Amino acid sequence: MKVRRTVIFIVVAFASLLFVSPLVWMLDTSLRPTPDIYRYPPTVIPGKVTLENYYYVFTEMQGFTRYFLNSVVVTVTTVVLVLISSAMGGYAFGVRRFRGQNLLFGSILLILTIPYIMYLIPIFMMEDKLGLQNTWLGLILPYVALNLPWGLLIMRGAFSTIPLDIRDAAVIDGCNEFQLWYRVMLPITRPALAATTIITFVFAWQEFLFASTLMTKNQWQTLPVGIVWLRDELQTLVYGRIGAMIILTILPVFILFVAFRNFFIKGLSEGMLKG
Amino acid sequence: MRIEKKLNLLIFLAPTLFFTLVFIAFPLIFSGYLSLSEYNYAVDPGPRFIGIKGYVETIFHDPFFRDALINQVKFAIPYFIITFGVSLGMAILINELTKGIHFFQVIFYLPMIIPLSLVGVIFAWILFPDIGIFNHFLRIIGVRPWNIDWFADPNTALYGLVIAQAWKNIGFTLIIFLAGLQSIPQTLREAARVDGAGFFREVWSIVLPNLKPYLFICGVWILINSMKVFDLPRVVTEGGPGTSTLTLYLYSWKLAFERLQMGRASQVAYITAAIILLLSWGLNRLFRHETARRA
Repeated sequence: MKVRRTVIFIVVAFASLLFVSPLVWMLDTSLRPTPDIYRYPPTVIPGKVTLENYYYVFTEMQGFTRYFLNSVVVTVTTVVLVLISSAMGGYAFGVRRFRGQNLLFGSILLILTIPYIMYLIPIFMMEDKLGLQNTWLGLILPYVALNLPWGLLIMRGAFSTIPLDIRDAAVIDGCNEFQLWYRVMLPITRPALAATTIITFVFAWQEFLFASTLMTKNQWQTLPVGIVWLRDELQTLVYGRIGAMIILTILPVFILFVAFRNFFIKGLSEGMLKG
Repeated sequence: MRIEKKLNLLIFLAPTLFFTLVFIAFPLIFSGYLSLSEYNYAVDPGPRFIGIKGYVETIFHDPFFRDALINQVKFAIPYFIITFGVSLGMAILINELTKGIHFFQVIFYLPMIIPLSLVGVIFAWILFPDIGIFNHFLRIIGVRPWNIDWFADPNTALYGLVIAQAWKNIGFTLIIFLAGLQSIPQTLREAARVDGAGFFREVWSIVLPNLKPYLFICGVWILINSMKVFDLPRVVTEGGPGTSTLTLYLYSWKLAFERLQMGRASQVAYITAAIILLLSWGLNRLFRHETARRA
């Protein structure tokens, strides 16, 4: 039994070392001075460890800071709008009863199974007409629409499990419906709000298809698009800087990931079926 | 009172209705119409209705579409085997451990938070010719001087993308498999051990049968996922060399935003969606049948 466990431990440890190696190699590359990166044959251990690539990325590359700003603004706004919309809609679907409720909810869920490329072409033309391309709003609006079904699914579940007597007690105390929603029910749904936040955040931070199509001007691009653009623009001999930018892109999410691991795992596994 | 309640309901539903009608329902209907039209976005004043003629043209007479479809299948098979096999195998092994579970989980979940386009950049760097670290390791262990430009060779480019996408997505299915493994009663497995079953026997006859619903969920997810390949070929290979990494998503995108043929692009998008929906619907039916028989 003990032997078996040790063997398995060694196998898993070796596999995870292999698995994490692409990321470690990128980190390794980002910590080297440029000539050290482009030496032949390549070396695994850096000849000299330096933070110059990180320093360069922050001071010399306005592009990167701009992408970071775009990503933060788009992601945070998307999360906030999804939270508000799904908290409101989740209440309507989870607590209230109305005609056509199931049909409406069912057709919203259908969105989850449809590949996103179906929406992209009309949204591109629409945003072209409305002048929404190359604006933050032009990304935020479709992101909210694509994430809302998940938020609704999660929030409806949370609202529908709230016991009825809580609602009745609040109504007797003279709450109107909005107070009932905001003061009484919303605090109870906090774990569901957290799961919604994580799914939406991870999506918006990583999204490439819409961002690369709708944001045609470089200054409006988000990190996943802008870094690729920089790589193409600067051509070779920049992998140290690219590596630094990739590590810096992952870092904020990684910190959140380690801090809220269980929320993340729950949120990500619920969100895995997205288009 | 009744009117007030109805008004409240409308307010609660307003954001949902706005976003789904404007950004989901309308685009869906409009791209359906586009797929039945001919429309060059740069030249034509508006879409011209041609019926299903465009579909016939795309399905039967478009060599790029055929290539993209073949590539999609060539992508799906190794992608399925690797993603399914590695995540299931690792989940079974990690589940056996008493120490370090959280640490290993974090390692395997890590790629989930890396944007797929940047995963492409990372793998392009690892598989670089000459100074790429992977070629370097091959040279160390191999007898001949390996120097393959993985993404420039039409025979290897697609499989490089398979590895990158599998790396990104193994964490998702690993989570599901681990959840499934934890739901298997420990007493069942102990009983097998008392009967003298070895580790592999125990996995084969106790663990896998009890994991069946999870195997189906993950299998379906991986298959659907293998039809939605865009970020990686767009970033790493641009569909090349030749058409060797042209996928359905990428082809639709190129038609729309490089050639501005919105009608043609919508046809490919609709066909891709139809494949995905048929796949998930068909597999779901199969899956239901399977559970019904067991019950």
